[in-house]
Amino acid sequence: MSATPPQAACYVYGIVPSGTRPPEAAGVGDPPAPVTLVSHHGVAALVGEIDVRRPLGTPRDLIGHARVLDEVAAARTPVLPFRFGAVVRDTAAVTDELLAPQEQRFLAALEDLDGLAQFTARATYRQDRVLREIVAHRPDIARLREEVAELPEAASRPRRIRLGELVAEALVARGRSDTDHLVAELGPLAAATSRAESTADQPATVSFLVAADRWSAFERAADALAADWDGRVDFRLIGPLAPYDFAPQLVDAQGPGSWD
Amino acid sequence: MSVTPRSSNYMSRPSSSGLVDVVDLILDKGLVIDIYIRVSLVGIELLTIDARIVVASVDTYLRFAEAVNRLDLADDKSQGLPELVQGMQEGGARHKTRGALEGVKDKVSGLIGGGEDEDDEEEPEERPRRRSRPTSRKGHER
Repeated sequence: MSATPPQAACYVYGIVPSGTRPPEAAGVGDPPAPVTLVSHHGVAALVGEIDVRRPLGTPRDLIGHARVLDEVAAARTPVLPFRFGAVVRDTAAVTDELLAPQEQRFLAALEDLDGLAQFTARATYRQDRVLREIVAHRPDIARLREEVAELPEAASRPRRIRLGELVAEALVARGRSDTDHLVAELGPLAAATSRAESTADQPATVSFLVAADRWSAFERAADALAADWDGRVDFRLIGPLAPYDFAPQLVDAQGPGSWD
Repeated sequence: MSVTPRSSNYMSRPSSSGLVDVVDLILDKGLVIDIYIRVSLVGIELLTIDARIVVASVDTYLRFAEAVNRLDLADDKSQGLPELVQGMQEGGARHKTRGALEGVKDKVSGLIGGGEDEDDEEEPEERPRRRSRPTSRKGHER
């Protein structure tokens, strides 16, 4: 418990089991302070000193936050990530106000996470290919497209907006259906699944919690799916990651906190 | 055995996440410290708080209208073998999609990169509702 000067505070990355080796990745801050562990019995917080006078959120800060947490997850250590920007006065407050009251819930959530890490699969469309398919399959869109092309730009604005709306809706509909397919193909290999809402720009993004002994099989299944979609879809698989999409529900599922 | 990202024929397997991936992966995700810490929370200015604002719908629609108008449908007739061959030559996962579908991401990167000049006039419509909903959990055996 060191006395910290007033401009310094404690950035909290996440919760891990006590005894976890602190990750080596450069974290949040400029320059990033080393990541250390504040432990209380079986649970610990991954923390780093930070200068409160500097706003947070540069690209390096965001990437630093993710790399610290993902390094832990890749080492097969369960970790409960905090949302970016969690800052507490000092390490004493981390122990007294965070770890001590929540010890049992955090421990139980970490146990549930044991051996699991998040993988996020993201499919985006090859623009021209998919737009062509949409025009080909939707006579109404094809007709509107021709009408717009024949009008001067100023006169076509309402129709262009309608055209874009129809195209965006068609992309979302495809995204939902492709998300269904992603979940059906990869979900059986995962302990839990979390799908993001489809948008025209991000049609299919799904996160999976996958047990370490299935990581290889999961990657193979994902690659097979990508092969099926080749030419139409760009497919990215990111992971192993800290369970960003699952941690809050995991902790909530442990019942009320000890202050209640 | 630690899993190192392997090269793959069809999907891209980034070894360390780039900024766009990180933004999507971590912003608005994870445990919220305010729920736990009441006394000693330090309010610190966050630059990214509104990073995922999407532009107004009309702009989005016009962007898609332009993309679909630009299409050269004459290519349709040659769809099939030539495109297949081209696809093979270009080698699956190395493709990069550009254009309308990437517009919002580019914008996000610009905002985070501190570009606060030309974006000021855009009217933020809403924060995208992309909060994920777990559909199942547990069910894993140890």
